[in-house]
Parts: sequence; C-alpha cells; structure tokens
Amino acid sequence: MIKVNGLSHSYNKDGKYAVKDVSFEVKEGEVFGFLGPSGAGKSTTQNILTGLLKLQEGEVTVAGYDVKHIKNEMFNRIGMSFEQSNVYSKMTAKENLDFYRKLFDVETKEPQFLLDLVGLGDKGNIKAGEFSKGMKHRLTFARSMINNPTLWFLDEPTTGLDPSIAADIKDIIKAENKKGVTVFLTTHNMYIADELCDRVAFIVDGDIKLIDSPKNLKMQYGDKLVEVEYIKDGETINESLSTIEENDKKKLQDIIGQSDIQTMHTKEATLEEIFIKGTGRGLI
Amino acid sequence: MKLWYSFTKELKLSSKGFYFYIEILMAVIIITVLLVFIPENIKNISDEYLMLDMPAAVEEQFISPLLSQDLDGEIEIVALELDKEMMDVRLIESEDQRIYLIDNRDNLIALSKKDRPSASAYISGDDISKLTYEYYIQGYESERLQNLYMIIHIEDIMTIANLASNQKVVALDADYDHLNSRESALPALLTFNGSMMGLFIIAAYIFLDRQQGIIKAYAITASRVWQYLMSQVLVLMTVTTLTTFAILLAVMGFKANYLMVILLLLPSAFFFSSLGLWVASFFTNLTQAFGAIYFLMMAFMLPAIAYFIPSWEPLWIKFLPTYYLIQGFKESIIDNGDMGFVLLASGIYLGVGIITFLLANSRFEKTLTA
Ligand SMILES: Nc1ncnc2c1ncn2[C@@H]1O[C@H](COP(=O)(O)OP(=O)(O)OP(=O)(O)O)[C@@H](O)[C@H]1O
Ligand SMILES: [Mg+2]
Repeated sequence: MIKVNGLSHSYNKDGKYAVKDVSFEVKEGEVFGFLGPSGAGKSTTQNILTGLLKLQEGEVTVAGYDVKHIKNEMFNRIGMSFEQSNVYSKMTAKENLDFYRKLFDVETKEPQFLLDLVGLGDKGNIKAGEFSKGMKHRLTFARSMINNPTLWFLDEPTTGLDPSIAADIKDIIKAENKKGVTVFLTTHNMYIADELCDRVAFIVDGDIKLIDSPKNLKMQYGDKLVEVEYIKDGETINESLSTIEENDKKKLQDIIGQSDIQTMHTKEATLEEIFIKGTGRGLI
Repeated sequence: MKLWYSFTKELKLSSKGFYFYIEILMAVIIITVLLVFIPENIKNISDEYLMLDMPAAVEEQFISPLLSQDLDGEIEIVALELDKEMMDVRLIESEDQRIYLIDNRDNLIALSKKDRPSASAYISGDDISKLTYEYYIQGYESERLQNLYMIIHIEDIMTIANLASNQKVVALDADYDHLNSRESALPALLTFNGSMMGLFIIAAYIFLDRQQGIIKAYAITASRVWQYLMSQVLVLMTVTTLTTFAILLAVMGFKANYLMVILLLLPSAFFFSSLGLWVASFFTNLTQAFGAIYFLMMAFMLPAIAYFIPSWEPLWIKFLPTYYLIQGFKESIIDNGDMGFVLLASGIYLGVGIITFLLANSRFEKTLTA
C-alpha cells in the first residue's frame, strides 16, 4: 500500500535533514505504527506521503500512485486525521462534513452516521467553534473517514481524549481495519501502538531504527522474566527472575522446590522499554 | 463543480464574517461622503483684499463694473478682525468673489498676512487707465501666477480684456462630458474600494483559514488548492462588484456605463485579490503581513493623489496598477468614455492577474504545512 525508498527531506535544503534515507513498506490491510519522540520526523514523513510536503529525495508510492507526480484521484482513496483539529469553526459540525464530502469524486458516508459513530450525534447543529478540544478532534477524525478511504493516515488520533472516548476511537480503528482499511498510525503512545499495530517502526532523529511486529520485538528485546511471590520463614517475598540467566534459573528452581509459592507469572517487557533499549532513547 | 461548492460555501461563510461587514461599511461610508459631504458642485468663492488709493471719481470708475456683478448691487459694510479689534470695510460680493476694500495700507498688509486671501493688492493712480498695482503675495503662489501678475498690467488693462474676449476656447472633444465634483471623486474612491479592500480582505480571510489549518484539510481532498484560492478570489470579486454597483447607483443612477464598469472591475478585482493572496503567502498571520500590505496600500493611493492634483503626475506613477483603474473608472462613468482604453486595461489586469494567481498558488502549495 505504501512503498518508501531512500526518502530524505531537508526543510531549508541546507543539508540538515528532518528525515534521512528512510525506507519502509506498509502492506495492504495492516495497521502500521510510526513511533518516535517529538521532533523525530514522523509528521514530516506523513506529510510527504500525503502530498502536503513536496517530495525532495527518494521514491514514494502511496496507494499505487507515485508521489513525485501526485494525481488528484489519489486523494479519493486516502483519508487523514490531523494532530491539530482543523475544521471551519463558523460552520456547524454537519455543515463541515456536508461541505467536505462534496470535495471527493467517490461515494461518501452520511454526515449523521459519522457523527453518531464518534459520539457527536446530537451535536450536529452546533458550530464547530463552540466545540471543546476533544469534540473538535473527534470531528476531524470523523471527517477523515468520509470518503471511505482504503488508506487511512492517523496522526495522534487519541491524544487529548478522555479514556472512554479514546477506547471508542480505538474500536473504530480496529473495525475499519477489519474491513480491509490499511492504517498508517503516527503516535508516541506506546500502549495504543501495542494494542493496534501489526507492525511498528521506531524513528529517532529522522532515522528508522527498527521495524517489526510488537510481538517479535518483545521476543527479541524483552528479557523473559518470571515474577514469583512466595512465603519463606513466615514472610511474603516478591522477586523477578530471568529465565535465561543461570543464577536466576537456579534460584527459581530452589524456590519452587523449597517454598510455598503464592503466585507466579511471566512478565513481558513493554513496547516503551523495548523502544528505549532498541534506540537508546526515551520517547519524550 | 467543486469550485462552485467551495465558492458558495465561502460566500456563505464570509457573509457571516466580520470582514464582510467592513466592506459593506466601507461602501456605506463612501456613499455617505459623496452624497452628504461633497456637494454636486463645489463653489469656489475667492476673497480679495484691495486698497484703492485714488481720487473719488477714479475710484467710482474702478468700482462700478465690480458693483454690477454684486449680488444686490450695493456695497455692504462688514467688519474684519485685526489684532482683536473689529474694523469696518466695504464689501462687494458677487457669485464667485468677495472683494474687500480696505482703507489703510498697514491694515491691508496685516490682514493679508493673517487671512491669506487669494489676492491682495494696493492700487493707486489718478487715471483709470494708468493705475499702479502692488501685489502682496503669500510666497506659496506658483511662479506662473507671479509671472502673470507681472505682465498683466504691462498693457492697458482694457486691451487685454478685449483680446481675451476675442479669443475663442473650443473643447477638442465636444462630446467630452463634464463630471460634477461628486462624480469626479468617484474613480479614486471606487479604486480604493475595489483594489485596496480586495488586497487587504483576502489576506485577512486567508490568515483566518490558515490559523484554523483549513488549507491543509483542503489539500488532502480530491479538490486542489487552486480551487480553494480561486473560491476566495471569486468571493472578493462578487462582493467588490456588489459594493461598486451600489456606490455607482447611489451617486450616478443609470448614467454610468455599467458594461464598461464590469469589464474593468472583474479583471482588476481578480488581479488585486490575487496580489493579496501572493503577499499573504509570505506570512503566517495578519500582524506580520500588515507592514507589507500597508506599504502596498499607501503606494497604490498615490495615483489617486495624482488624480486630484492634475499638475502632479510623475512618470513612475504610471507603473502603479491603480493608475489604470482610476483612469478606467473615469472613462466608464463619463459619456462616450474610451472603450478601447478600458478594454486594454482590463486585458492587462487579466493577464497580470493570471500570472499573480499562479505565483500565489505555487507559493501556497509549497507552504501547506507551515
Ligand atoms: N516547517 C518546518 N521548517 C523547518 N523545520 C521543520 C519544520 N517542521 C519540522 N521541522 C523540523 O523537522 C524535524 C522533524 O519534525 P516533525 O514535525 O516531523 O517531528 P514529529 O516526529 O512529527 O514530532 P511531534 O511528535 O512533536 O509531532 C524537527 O527537527 C523539526 O524542528
Ligand atoms: Mg508530529
């Protein structure tokens, strides 16, 4: 669905690159997570993919279209939800969607259906300018689905939303993906990425350090740990032990043999811990 | 089609916005100024201070032709103020002239200094055909007038008067209609309304949208950025046309050549709003852009000044785009105006407008994420 080869971008063409020699591929039907700290080059990359920034170096194909010579039709197939909501504040939510759908040449979704979907069903006649930040964000999100995109760009879709609405948005993304929509998700929220993404790319300083599925990354980078809680000499003791290290392994065997075990489970490293290990950088 | 949707939406949006009312207000102000404050014909009444130092009989001879022009045929006695004291003087008042006859030379000079009449002279002599004229000038009079003062009395006054009445002045183009003062103020005001407002308001619209990130959202639809920009330009063209027609109808009724007006107005509004777009593309908000826009507006006002002061018209003023708009408006509101000129001007506005629009468009496409 997306093919990127040797993509570089320098805003001022001064040899300082916001994105440098980046290559990756997004397969049809997958949720691809683009993760990295602030200033890593996530938005830059996404803006080039969607034609908002002019391609300087490299080859990029999006939904079968060469981004070097963008064809208008490409936009009928992609949708994009912006990190900062951008709707006409002087128009109502419904007018916003009504106007927007006229700008596509393909079948579009009913505004009311979309508003219901993001929990704004009864707010359609209110001016977007009077919306709260979260409501505007949901409207922007809803708008990005209006042309039934087969490739869906989402920039921080759940940032600033309360947890229950964020969960709804996550469900919508999952449902759309199940219908076959390819999702390009930009975020620095590792939990969302972990939950939604089939594969993630870690980008730092304009450079992709790793690309793999969260599961594989955990296998590769996460220490496999066992957490045990046992009673010894009348005292409850908690301990995390590696299943690889020889000393830990021996100790675990002893505990199992000699003590009264209360609980015992394996613990996975979080994506965040892996990111730090894999890139040597924090996420902030 | 998408352009049409965008245009109607922008039109609806702008009718709800603040700047729309600025434009309406501007038109109302122009109409009010023209209809209320500028009389159809400004009467130019000039004041002259004279002192006649001559025998009574000669003075009689001098005054009587003046008196025949007087409104009531009689000399009035009025008071003029000098150094907080009132002083009685004689006044001969005609349709376009007030001649004050002052009896004391020092007072004449003092009064002339203080009141700056359009002419002031000390006239003496014993024979009506051999009078001596001493003019007191303010210093700002043109050299032409000063020269005129010098030669006007070389010959016998009567000879000049005879010569003058034997001269015949024929207008070169007999069809060339005279505009009244209201109408002749129109071209400059219409230009202000049509060009400056377009330039400024479109920039304001763009910055409003840019702040809201709307251009970005537009750019990822199957509609192109030029359609967005064009819809803004069309809104401006529509509003400018409406306000211009309102002003013209209010001031001139159906006397103007509305076909010529529209031929001139649409391409010029297109050019000026494209220019506004292009200027706006270099800035991120109105405050930043204000300097540049202000400078352009001031520069574009200069042809209006040249229009009102015919003797000041340096060559470079013809390079300012508003120059042709003013001239064009003038041609379209006088009878038998020069259609050729209007067509040429509108052709140039269209051509330059297209280039400016393309420049603005490419600037916007490059700065979508800014
Ligand atoms: N318009 C611009 N002009 C110049 N430099 C820019 C511009 N936009 C971004 N940059 C620089 O490019 C680099 C990458 O920025 P980018 O916006 O792609 O980061 P990001 O990963 O999206 O960060 P965030 O998580 O904060 O959104 C940064 O160093 C930033 O300073
Ligand atoms: Mg970003």
